[in-house]
Amino acid sequence: MDEILVIAEHRQGILRDITHEMLFKADQLRKSTSCAVTVLLIGGLDETTLKELSRRADKVLLLEQESLKNFNPDSYKETIFRLIQERQPFMTLIGHTSWGMGYAPALSVKTGYPFATDCIDILVENRRPLVIRQMYGGKVFSKVSFKESKGYILTVRPGAFPPPESVEDRHGEILPLPIPADLPRPRSTFLELVDTGAGELDITQADLLVSIGRGVGDEENIATVKGLADLMGGTLACSRPIVDKNWLPKFRQVGTSGKSVRPKVYLALGISGAFQHIAGISGAGTVIAVNKDRKAPIFRVADFGVVEDLFKVLEAMKEKLAK
Amino acid sequence: MNIVVCVKRVPLTQEVDLEIDSTGKDIKKEPLAYVINDWDHYAIEEAVLLQEKFGGTVTAITIGNEEDEEVLRRALAMGAAKAIRIDPGDLSLDGFVISRLLWAAVKDLPFELVLTGVQANDDNCGMVGVMLAEHLGVAHTAVVTGVEVDGKEAELQIELEGGIEEKSNIELPALLTIQTGINVPRYVSIMGIRKARKKPLEVIKVSELGLPSEDLTPRTMIQEIYLPPDTEGAEMIEGNPSTVAEEIIRILTEKGVNV
Amino acid sequence: MLTPHHPATQNYLGLPGYLFTWIIFLAGISLFAFIIYRRSLLLRSGQADPRLSELGRRVLGVITFGLFQKRQPRYFWAGVIHILIFSGFVVLGLRSLDLISHGLGLPVLAPLMNTAFGHVYGTLKDLFELIVFAACFWAMLRRAIVRPERYSDSHAFEAYFVLCLISLLMLTDMAFEGAGILLGNANGQGLPASQWIAGLLSRMSRSSVERIYISGYWLHLLVFFFFLNFLPLGKHFHIITALPNVFFRKLKKGALKPARWDVEDMDDLETLGVGKIEDFTWKNILDLYTCTECGRCSDHCPANAIGRPLSPKRLTMNLRDHAYGRYPVFPFTGKNSGAKPGPIMVGGVISTEAIWSCTTCGACEEECPVFIEYIDKIIDMRRHLIETARNPTSFNQVLMHVEKTGNPFGKPAAKRADWIQELNVPSVRILGEGDETDVLYFVDSYASFDPAAQRIASAIVKGLNLAGVDFGVLGPLEKDSGHQVRRIGEEGLFQLLLEENSETLKSIQFNRIITTDPHTFNTLKKDYPGNFRVFHYTQFFQSMLQSGQLKPGKALDAHETYTYHDPCYLGRHNSIYDAPRDIIRSIPGMNFREMTKSRDRSFCCGGADIVLWYEIEQEKERMAVKRVQMARDAGADVIVTACPFCLIHFEDAIKSGGLEKDIRVVDLMELFISTL
Repeated sequence: MDEILVIAEHRQGILRDITHEMLFKADQLRKSTSCAVTVLLIGGLDETTLKELSRRADKVLLLEQESLKNFNPDSYKETIFRLIQERQPFMTLIGHTSWGMGYAPALSVKTGYPFATDCIDILVENRRPLVIRQMYGGKVFSKVSFKESKGYILTVRPGAFPPPESVEDRHGEILPLPIPADLPRPRSTFLELVDTGAGELDITQADLLVSIGRGVGDEENIATVKGLADLMGGTLACSRPIVDKNWLPKFRQVGTSGKSVRPKVYLALGISGAFQHIAGISGAGTVIAVNKDRKAPIFRVADFGVVEDLFKVLEAMKEKLAK
Repeated sequence: MNIVVCVKRVPLTQEVDLEIDSTGKDIKKEPLAYVINDWDHYAIEEAVLLQEKFGGTVTAITIGNEEDEEVLRRALAMGAAKAIRIDPGDLSLDGFVISRLLWAAVKDLPFELVLTGVQANDDNCGMVGVMLAEHLGVAHTAVVTGVEVDGKEAELQIELEGGIEEKSNIELPALLTIQTGINVPRYVSIMGIRKARKKPLEVIKVSELGLPSEDLTPRTMIQEIYLPPDTEGAEMIEGNPSTVAEEIIRILTEKGVNV
Repeated sequence: MLTPHHPATQNYLGLPGYLFTWIIFLAGISLFAFIIYRRSLLLRSGQADPRLSELGRRVLGVITFGLFQKRQPRYFWAGVIHILIFSGFVVLGLRSLDLISHGLGLPVLAPLMNTAFGHVYGTLKDLFELIVFAACFWAMLRRAIVRPERYSDSHAFEAYFVLCLISLLMLTDMAFEGAGILLGNANGQGLPASQWIAGLLSRMSRSSVERIYISGYWLHLLVFFFFLNFLPLGKHFHIITALPNVFFRKLKKGALKPARWDVEDMDDLETLGVGKIEDFTWKNILDLYTCTECGRCSDHCPANAIGRPLSPKRLTMNLRDHAYGRYPVFPFTGKNSGAKPGPIMVGGVISTEAIWSCTTCGACEEECPVFIEYIDKIIDMRRHLIETARNPTSFNQVLMHVEKTGNPFGKPAAKRADWIQELNVPSVRILGEGDETDVLYFVDSYASFDPAAQRIASAIVKGLNLAGVDFGVLGPLEKDSGHQVRRIGEEGLFQLLLEENSETLKSIQFNRIITTDPHTFNTLKKDYPGNFRVFHYTQFFQSMLQSGQLKPGKALDAHETYTYHDPCYLGRHNSIYDAPRDIIRSIPGMNFREMTKSRDRSFCCGGADIVLWYEIEQEKERMAVKRVQMARDAGADVIVTACPFCLIHFEDAIKSGGLEKDIRVVDLMELFISTL
């Protein structure tokens, strides 16, 4: 079947953005693949969301059952496997998320399909996909091709294919599917979700975020930065390494495993710009980056850049603001 | 409880400007220093912590040449009881082939847990672990930030996006991919690593694993690698810190931030 | 002279006095022998330690520091008191022998005492008895009234008790002699003390005086043997062990001991550091015996001064208590012997924070009058913490960086000489294997990668070029010298660096090495086995000054006052105080003032290792902040240093204290170059 199968990801009743991103990319690939776009939704969602999905795909496959309400690697793997066997889609797209990473590789083994992860671009040449992905922490890009196969499985980087505000309505068909009878018993059980990012304040509400990365050097330097943040009426935030070291609490972390923020201005001090961090500031109004390293990846995505010792800039700003 | 940990030796690239080599399919490796993959370091520590609590042995395994034994010695020095190195010879490797090689070596070992890192510092793929789980036919979960073993089950903490963590139960035996920050890997001194030479390290050649050629054929191929295009990105603010500070404050005010 | 009425000749309870003297003597000596034997067991359980090198120098040290008590007057009045009491002991030893031998019926010294010498000695003895008695009294007053801070957690009871015992020894002899004069048993000529006592007793009845005469003698004997046996049980053991401890002292300041002296190959060792008392060397244990709890070490310890949980005195006292607990003199009385083992030594008896607090500045070892060593003990305990993975986790990445890239920053080795281009430094030859040069400039990691230290390297190169010196740097071939790594306790990694650097150095022909910083200088000179001629840049450029190859021309701004901070590894550890001062004073227009704590009493800036990666929680302020304040107190506008770490710490302190308008810091080389 000439179909691109997109696996929808949802959490706590809300469809995650990656789903729309994958559907957008799948839509773009229609011509070069002569494929229709099908989205698989395991577990139920409300009417509005279903309608939204059906605008972006040709078919919406629905597998609703109490036992499939929460994500479970075994259930997803087994269900999608059977679907792939039956429908033989050309390409299956799964989000490169914690959940996706938890079953997609196993699925590729079960189906025997070639598999690549964290794709930031997908091309098709001679009916075979070619993907672009990053290596060495984003320092290098690679173009990857696949062994010939009936189908291919890819995980897609969240944020790689941001869909436009409005999409053309595809009037997709919503097809409820029966639950396969021979699904094996899942070997893991979902217990609960915990919000560790909750804290004494919500950095997503700030107009100005003063964010620090590895470049801050020592834990004691953080106080200096906080001083400036307070002076400017901004909120202190940080990248992952700072939280891993326990220098700041998790609720201040910006990035994929932290918070997505949309301040008017995001001042990034000593942050190199690892992809996972960038993902958290895609919605920021203006990004100003200060970093000693001219080649820091953050300069690719910032609006303004300064190549300088962040402490020198801090000092100068403190002086000017004191007046 | 017996635990198998898969480890990888990767180049240290954090402070380095990478260059593409003459084949165009890899980076220049001679000037680079090599270290244990960050994620695997946490995985070994987690395995050793569990072993200290529940008894049993930790086996570390890697695929590589003689120089790669360094990461196995680190694992042994941290507390693993034995190590295995699979020598790939000239074999081309991709995630799938690696997972098959590991499966062949691990399938006959007794274990309740197999731990791998979420991904590797070099290829950032994050696929070998869960592929291996499927080959072994065991339960699997990725991006684990906490493991509490209770009999034949483990309660897991999994890092999801946006600061949310998931708690779930998994049946043992299982394979878990371990996320950074789950623990603090203990330091092993140079002397400690040298002492680890006394612990057993077995070398297995690929030919001894008896895998069919289908298993040894990569399913993905790198066509080329390239450096990212130069910054079209930011508008650079030049000048001394004082000028720069002034400009930043000006931008802030312009964008509606009350300084 | 054994007069008929000598107490020993009299009978008591029908038994001759001699019997009692012999009993007291034999009992005293046997008990003493037993106690010393028990103490020797602990000593012998320690590791090997070769301490017989340069015998002449060692003997000279015993004379200078032992007999002439050279270090005592560093605390003037305390020093005076101690010298008086010590001299008293030296002089009065003969008297005690005389008294005892008379009592035993073997007056061996009588012939000597009957000569003119005997008369002179008699007067001397009397004088010293008065002096010692007065000194003890003065000492007790000082303790009670002045209450010096450094005595605060020492054993006060024992101090007073012993002072009383000594006073009693003096008094009993004076009483015996004085009463003897009154009884006509002795000639009072030239014996001021005895005559004084005689005068005091003159109004008493003859029988009272006789009683005093007899009891004075017996009491003296009893107190003497009691005191003798009391010595090894507490801090006064130093009376016996101090001179040996000075003899066996460490001659090579600034060097660190190997893991084990008697084991070449570290791979043969089960453990590298010190985890239990028996892991210390016998000399380390002798140190513990010799501590007098005077507190001079802690008084000068910079870590102690800023509130860190390290007191060198307490370190030694706690280790001693622990050791005595495990090896008690009287079996079954030890706190840590038997079934209950007690707290572990490293991490328990001595806290890990105390162990990490030390900057190895050497102030403690410089003060100690009996030459106790602290640094080796602390480093040995760090080695143990490292090998048992009980180090602060912030070290892990730094050590990994040093191992993999040859510098603590993790910067690629290939970039080690990039500073040359980055700072537009002209004419620097990068040496390769087989090259020849006169001077090999060992830049080391900080000067290669840290911006503040790079400026010093740049200035050094300028100086070398101006003086027309044939020199080169190792560039990417150079690995970190290892001074930080070794002092953190990662001995294995240090040996690795040592091997690699030694290989490189062997492949190049050079006459001398100069270094940017005193730590590198110290390590290459003392920790590396090859006999290189190593100089710190201050020594090198001072000789350029002397030979006239370089001459400062430009004068300085007359308004500024300069002071110089002696870096620990240039000053105390290597006694290089004058070379930098010569350079400073050679600058025209130099307005120079010394800080109160200068030269061998310089106050550490914070150090070059642990402080960079780990903060001790209990610390109340930074060492550098305190030191900058000292410079300001001396009226200085500029602090001159000769070490990049001092520079970094002072710049930091000035910035964080907002003192940029009050004081600035400059490296000596940069200052010197600016005047050429």
